[in-house]
Amino acid sequence: MIQLKSMLNVIDNSGAAVAECINVLKMKRAAKVGDRIIVVVQKQRNFGPESGPGGSVSVSAANKVRRGDIRHAVIVRTAKKYSRPDGSVVKFDDNACVLINKGGEPIGSRLNGIVAHELRGKKWSKILSLAPMHL
Amino acid sequence: MSLSSQSARPLACLKQALRQCRAERQQQQTRSYAAAAAEVQYPSLQTRYPLPAKSFRTSQATKQNRFETGMRKIPVAPQVPSTRKLCPDPVAAVTASQISALDATGARTRLFSQENPDRARVGDILLVRQKSGEPFSGVCINIRQGNSKIDSAILLRNNLTRVGVEMWYKIYSPNVEGIEVVQRKAKRARRARLYYMRQPRHDVGSVDNIVRQYLRQRAGGPMNNAKGRDARSNKKKNNKRGRN
Repeated sequence: MIQLKSMLNVIDNSGAAVAECINVLKMKRAAKVGDRIIVVVQKQRNFGPESGPGGSVSVSAANKVRRGDIRHAVIVRTAKKYSRPDGSVVKFDDNACVLINKGGEPIGSRLNGIVAHELRGKKWSKILSLAPMHL
Repeated sequence: MSLSSQSARPLACLKQALRQCRAERQQQQTRSYAAAAAEVQYPSLQTRYPLPAKSFRTSQATKQNRFETGMRKIPVAPQVPSTRKLCPDPVAAVTASQISALDATGARTRLFSQENPDRARVGDILLVRQKSGEPFSGVCINIRQGNSKIDSAILLRNNLTRVGVEMWYKIYSPNVEGIEVVQRKAKRARRARLYYMRQPRHDVGSVDNIVRQYLRQRAGGPMNNAKGRDARSNKKKNNKRGRN
C-alpha cells in the first residue's frame, strides 16, 4: 500500500537510496507491486570506498539522480501482504522501488535485491530480468 | 295487648314486633332457595343437541361418511427421506472427501495433525516444493488450522538477498507438491505464533545454508567432501535433485 508520503528503498544503482512517493499514477488508490508512481529522491547512495578519493566528480558520474529529483518509479516489493491466484500470500519486510524514465526504461543498470514475480504480468519483464532473484 | 302495659313499657311491643318479623323473613328465605334449585332453567344455557359420546372422533367420522366410489385417485409423490437424517454433518463429510482427494496418501494430514508427536511445529525449518516455480524454504512461524481443516496453511519466513520474505502456503493446495521438515527446533517454541522473529533482534536470517546442507545429505550417495568442492558442484547436484 504505497501512497502519498510513503518512503521506499530504491534498489537499483541509479544513485538514489530512499525515495518518497508523491503521486500514484493512473489510479485513485494505494499502489501495489507493479504500479507506477512518482517519487522524490530523499537520500543519495554513497558508493563506498571506490569513490572515496575521486571525490565529487566520480560520485556525480555514478549517481544518475540527485537528492530532490522527481522521477518515475515502479514498485517491486511491498510490506503489505498480497495474495496470489493459487492461494499463497507474499509479504516482504520493506517497500522497494526501481527508478525508471518516462519511457519506462530503468535508469539503473542493475538491481540488488529480490523483486516480486507480479512484475511479469504488468509488462515489467526488463526489471525482472535485471533482478538477481524473483519470487 | 293492654294499654296499661304499653304505657308502662313503651318499647316492649316494638321488640315483639321485631322478633316476629325476623322469624317470618327466615322462613321466607329458605322457601325461596328451594324453589330456585328446583324450577329456574335458563334457556340460554341449555344445549340444543345431546352431547357426543366420550369415544367420538371427528376424523374417524368423516372417514366413515366419505364415499370414494367414482373418485379419481390423485397421484401423490412418496415422502422424500430427510437429508438431515441421511447426512447428519455435511461439512465434515465434504471436508473429508476434499482431503482424501487432495491428500491421497494422508502424509500431509499426518505431518500437521495434533495426534502426531512428530508433527511439524512452529520454529521448524520447512521446505515447500511447488509444481510451478522454485521450492521455498523458511522458518515456520505460524500454522493456521481454522474451523475448516482443508483451509489450513503455514507461514514461512526466510531472508532472500537480505530482505525478509514471508509466504503463506495452503497445506492442501494442489500447487504444493510436498512439504519437508529440514530441521526441527531444538526446544519447543513457547508461542503459537513466532511473530517476534520479525524483529531484527530475533530474526534468524537466511536458512538457505541449512536447507542446502539438508538437500545434499538427503541426496545420499557420495558426500561432497565438504570444503574441497566449490559452490558450483553443489549447485549441479541440487539441480539434479530438483529434476528427480
